[in-house]
Amino acid sequence: MTAKLRAPGWYRSGLFLLLGIAFSWVLVGVGRLAMDYPNAWTDGEAITTVSLIAAPLFFLVGLGCFDYWFYWASGRPTRAEDHSSHGAESWKDYFRVNTDHKVIGIQYICTSFFFMFVGGLIAMLMRAELAQPGMQFVDTATFNGLFSVHAALLIFLFVIPIFAGIANYVLPLMIGAPDMAFPRLNALSFWLLPVAGVMLSASFFAPGGAFASGWTAYAPLSTEMPLGQVFFTVGVQFAGAASIATALNFLVTIITMRAPGMSFFRMPLLVWANFATSLLVVIATPFIAASQFFVLLDRALGFNFFDAFVGAGKDGSVLMYQHVFWFYSHPAVYIMMLPGFGIISEIISVKARKPIFGYRMMAFSLLAIVVLGFTVWAHHMFVSGMHAWIRVPMMITTAIIAVPTGIKIFSWLATMWRGVLRLDTPMLFALGFLTTFTLGGISGVMLAMIPFDIYVSDTYFIVAHIHYVLFGGSMLTIFAGIYYWFPKMTGRMYDERLGKIHFWATFVFFNVTFAPMHLLGLDGMPRRVADYAEQYATLNLLVTIASFMLGLSMLVFLYNMVASWRGGPRAAANPWRALTLEWQVSSPPPIFNFDAVPTVVGGPYEYGVPGAVHGIFQSPAEAKPTTAGSVATSPTRE
Amino acid sequence: MEAASASSSLHHAGEAAHHGPPEAHRSSRVDPQMLGMLLFIISEIMVFGAFFTAYFFIRVVDGNPWPAEGTELPKAIAGVNTAILLSSSVTLHWALEAIKRGNRPAFKAGMATTFLLGACFLFIQINEYVHVGFAPYDSAQASVFYGLTGLHGAHVALGLLLLLIVTVRAFRGHFSPQAHRGVEVPGIYWHFVDVMWVIVFSTVYLL
Repeated sequence: MTAKLRAPGWYRSGLFLLLGIAFSWVLVGVGRLAMDYPNAWTDGEAITTVSLIAAPLFFLVGLGCFDYWFYWASGRPTRAEDHSSHGAESWKDYFRVNTDHKVIGIQYICTSFFFMFVGGLIAMLMRAELAQPGMQFVDTATFNGLFSVHAALLIFLFVIPIFAGIANYVLPLMIGAPDMAFPRLNALSFWLLPVAGVMLSASFFAPGGAFASGWTAYAPLSTEMPLGQVFFTVGVQFAGAASIATALNFLVTIITMRAPGMSFFRMPLLVWANFATSLLVVIATPFIAASQFFVLLDRALGFNFFDAFVGAGKDGSVLMYQHVFWFYSHPAVYIMMLPGFGIISEIISVKARKPIFGYRMMAFSLLAIVVLGFTVWAHHMFVSGMHAWIRVPMMITTAIIAVPTGIKIFSWLATMWRGVLRLDTPMLFALGFLTTFTLGGISGVMLAMIPFDIYVSDTYFIVAHIHYVLFGGSMLTIFAGIYYWFPKMTGRMYDERLGKIHFWATFVFFNVTFAPMHLLGLDGMPRRVADYAEQYATLNLLVTIASFMLGLSMLVFLYNMVASWRGGPRAAANPWRALTLEWQVSSPPPIFNFDAVPTVVGGPYEYGVPGAVHGIFQSPAEAKPTTAGSVATSPTRE
Repeated sequence: MEAASASSSLHHAGEAAHHGPPEAHRSSRVDPQMLGMLLFIISEIMVFGAFFTAYFFIRVVDGNPWPAEGTELPKAIAGVNTAILLSSSVTLHWALEAIKRGNRPAFKAGMATTFLLGACFLFIQINEYVHVGFAPYDSAQASVFYGLTGLHGAHVALGLLLLLIVTVRAFRGHFSPQAHRGVEVPGIYWHFVDVMWVIVFSTVYLL
């Protein structure tokens, strides 16, 4: 037992978790005693707040995330890497700190889907409440908590991390790298994620209920909420830290670890998309971290960033929260969309057997979205009472950002033009994405127009728009990507018939669920309210029924994934006859990806071009002299 | 780097169950650790950017007096403190140049001096908090003052931790003219902390 408690793993992490809570308790007690505060040892709110910050760090130390770094920092001679924490031989290896990017990718994907189902069930509880006017299942405060946790979970624990998970698995393979640049940091960034997810979900058990200020947590509402708000404030920090560390890792991997011959303009567009996304994450995510620092400081230590009551003499600024928050959260919608663009580019080119149309414009439009994404944040604040002159510039930039997005939509259409389409499940999801995302994009341009935005602000029109871009956009690309790389990740084929049933059920009931919300919004039904007027009853009942069917379609997906992973037919190395490098190794790939790093000699999408090759498994010396890189001169620093 | 040739040669194949990954191709001359640190610093700059946004809104947009009425910021002491922190950047650079030339005594002296100067800065900063005469909950200006200088202080503390590790390893005989990345990467972070202080000092105390 002692040995188990000393070795890194779940026993030690449990012990350290308790130590972390004890540490927080003593810290709060000593601090309050020193400041002569009352109830030094019994202030539950203070102890919980400090525990939420400290205990997860203790937990991660116990799990073994920091072992190597501690070893290095203590100044002992460094040992050679033995790769003992790399790879998975049984399912148990997925439940420990693992440095293999393929294991981490699957850890990410499974964790994200777990929280997707939690968030989805919460959504169905909300729809049950909204099936009829009046109050049936939950009270208004609980309802506020439900929609807040629903949004927070699906944004911070599903859409953002699952893209990181898919890219974690696929990206190093695509660029011919044996792993990510910083495998230990990669492991740590994954393990921050369940911490954040458990924290957000556990807020329901806090006295006063879950955080109920929406996923936006506007101050000063959030600084005056009951304790549950702290679970959001701190949980988002952990999710954000995970996000930044992964983005940094992707950028370094893409810049320094590409295979010889893989110039930037020979990279698959999924790599480009994650390059752009990672830039956004590194630059924007610190802003939401800071906004939650402000809230935490206001709440816990009595700071006055947002205390602006006239006569109180505190001079805080309420609008400042919204500016800081949206300076992250608008780029965040591109963080939640650009990796999906990359997935769709891969699938459409392979399934249409044609080179991607306008490869360079596809890459440049991603970078244009990165730049423009930072210039539009205040279009979320047209009715906030900010300075009126900011509105029109924000309206114009918002309309402009539709241009690079439009370039991508039309390039995909042109890629498919006269192609021989193979309408299997990944392609169906890609086509479904094109349809619904275009609709969501159009309602987005409508919302950019100030008079229209003022008219539908805080109505169900907004709910419809966000779900058309995040469910009809991001989520369909996620499904497309999961089906597309399922053979590579698991070494087995999924059931095509169930996949198609899943697609058609999702696509139809998605539209029946969210399209009527546009009408409800135009009629003036306010969002984020548990009850509504009699006149909205018919459409709401329809939406609720459709949403339950949508929920059922997810069970088809779940069954397909679990059953195919356990007993599906073995997958070939390259079932889609794709050119990119991840398909040139076995399914699933060998533990270290490649025996020797491949050499890239052409573009990634030369489908239908006679004799076109993307990568070859020869040493660069034997490869054609046209390759751009060279390995012979790499400097030996250590 | 030797592993690249080892993994491709055949007589190593049966040596172990797994032979280790193939050596990754270096597609950029930029050092990965250094690039990682630079990207981390970009994201740190953005954290400071958000705190400066708070400063901007409370001081400029809302037009509140700065500092809050009836309070005063100790410019002279903070100025001396700035000099202390900036000189620590110089000594750190000296230490790095020393290990690059293989001059270990100078390297050790440089690291120890840098650490002590940084610790001195942090001590004076905390002492300033005790005597400054207002608390963070007195006004939004006070919150911004404590927020910005406290955020910077937290970065100094983190930088000091890194410097302490480097110093301990320096005294244990680590690093050489060939291998000194473990000094360079934390060093870049420390220089960033210094430059950021100049900005914080100019906007909070001087302007």
